[in-house]
Amino acid sequence: MFENAVKQLLQGAFICEVSDEAAFNYLADGDKARAVDAFLSQLGYRLAKTQNELAFYAAYQQIDTTARGEIKRIFQQFRIELYPVVEWLDMMMSCLNQDTALAPGDTLSFSSLLQVIEQNQALADRLLSFVKFKDFAGSDDSVKARLEKLLATLHKWGYLKLANRDMLIYQVTGKLDYFYQALQFIQEHEQIPIEQPEEDAMQESLF
Amino acid sequence: MSQTTAGLERLFKSLATHADLIAEAYLQGVVYQDDKNQRALNQLRQLKVLAKHGEDGYRIAGRLNQFLDHALSSDRVRRLDTDLASWIDTLEQQISLYRDAWSENRQEDADNYLAEIERLVFDLADVLEDNTRYLLMLVNSRFANVRTLAEKQKQNAFYISRLEKLVNAISALQPEYLLEMVEELPILYDLLDQQLIRLLPVYQQRLQDILDKLKVFLFELRQIEARAKRVQGFVFFLRQNPGYQTRDWSEADTIPEFWNQMQPLLLQAYADPLDHAVEDELIDIAQKIKIDTEALLAKQKKRGINAVTAANSAKQVLEVPLYRKQLRALLQYVHQASGKTVSALAFGQAFIGAIEPSIWLACVMNECLRQRHQQLQIEFRLHGQDTDFSGNKKITDILLSHRLPQT
Repeated sequence: MFENAVKQLLQGAFICEVSDEAAFNYLADGDKARAVDAFLSQLGYRLAKTQNELAFYAAYQQIDTTARGEIKRIFQQFRIELYPVVEWLDMMMSCLNQDTALAPGDTLSFSSLLQVIEQNQALADRLLSFVKFKDFAGSDDSVKARLEKLLATLHKWGYLKLANRDMLIYQVTGKLDYFYQALQFIQEHEQIPIEQPEEDAMQESLF
Repeated sequence: MSQTTAGLERLFKSLATHADLIAEAYLQGVVYQDDKNQRALNQLRQLKVLAKHGEDGYRIAGRLNQFLDHALSSDRVRRLDTDLASWIDTLEQQISLYRDAWSENRQEDADNYLAEIERLVFDLADVLEDNTRYLLMLVNSRFANVRTLAEKQKQNAFYISRLEKLVNAISALQPEYLLEMVEELPILYDLLDQQLIRLLPVYQQRLQDILDKLKVFLFELRQIEARAKRVQGFVFFLRQNPGYQTRDWSEADTIPEFWNQMQPLLLQAYADPLDHAVEDELIDIAQKIKIDTEALLAKQKKRGINAVTAANSAKQVLEVPLYRKQLRALLQYVHQASGKTVSALAFGQAFIGAIEPSIWLACVMNECLRQRHQQLQIEFRLHGQDTDFSGNKKITDILLSHRLPQT
């Protein structure tokens, strides 16, 4: 398991209960985690975990010039992901008729989502609006194709795992914990005003 | 048939006969008397199935109510604020009564009180067991029985307050005092000690654990609420500010630790054919590849469609076109007549009858323009001065000569 965990970490994976339960449990064991960390440290990395300890990933031991350049590339990718992932999370709250945002471990059924969106023009329009993001563009404008593209891209980015290939059931991974952490960081450090005017919030809830 | 058996049979028959009335009393809380049901209600009251409720009403008897709650797993059984204090009071009263009956040698009364005390103790233990188990289930399922966050928070707060009351009530119990009361009555002492007093710390600890879990869950629920608000707030903000780009934190003097994430590495390894330790495995792999390939080919051969035949196709000899033959002859002629200028038009008229002069000149010109013949000196003869400014130049002849190598 050591080898599996280390290889995944070096390849930039977020290891969580959903993505690889065995590897996650392995890293959750203090002694094993220390062994992995000791190995990574020889390569200039260290074992890190998300705020709520829902996922493990590898970070640089020291941020030198090379590391800085590589972190920049990762950060640019986060910038690309920020808007569409936030849109997706909010849209899923509407689709699932929930007052809570998705959390690691939650499941999404393709057929259920498709049914909900097909019966709600506002949601269908919202799904279509994802084409404005480069990674979500496609030639087929049908709801089914759009939804496939949406989930496939989020799967590619590591926020979803295809839990059941036949039933097309996706499961939210621990990477989302990192994303929420990032949102909180940005909001706190950039003083983003996230309070919606009451009227807007009320109107949205009516939809 | 004994008297007890007969009484039991009568009770069950009554329960079955008046099931609708009992159900109504249980579900509605009360059944009111009218001309039709008066007799039945009286009978059920005598059997202690129903009890009077106001002037004309009947409610379900307490114990039957508890039994039905329990049997139906109703939420009503989850009343954790069960009046524990009054329960204990009753227990103490029953113990006093038992003690009196015992000292006055009233054996039958003593037996009845003992049975009542047993029931109380077992009921109390059952209630604690059921409720703690039910609560554990609720907590572990994270209140899956309700959907919305607000409802989960409400349930969580509700059970926290109830649990706190129960924990306090158990803590307020004075087991030593109870045991002192029955010190001289070994049957009661053993009963209380084994069935209640010894279990109290267990229940207390279990309730405390549940309480701790509920508090953690309440904290998580608050986080979840904040997270949902943050997502919605960001969506709103991004819609209001479509050009927003988050600050480039990777450019900060000190990159915040949070953004420290490694760039994925591409890992790839090769088999070492010189490593004898893995030689057998490599051979296996190599052989498997061969087998796989053969299997694949065999499979393909079976397919009727797209079958590939290895039949030799007939060779087809393409003849060199006449103009190419003549061009070759012209170039050889120019080469042989080294130093002399040869007119392409004259050569055509002399040796080639089958190609029209204009076409022949076009072929020669095309060959010259390909610039493959560096040793040829080429001169185009043009037709006088064009007067119509058409942009075309009319070639009347092409003079070729072999360029002698410079010494």
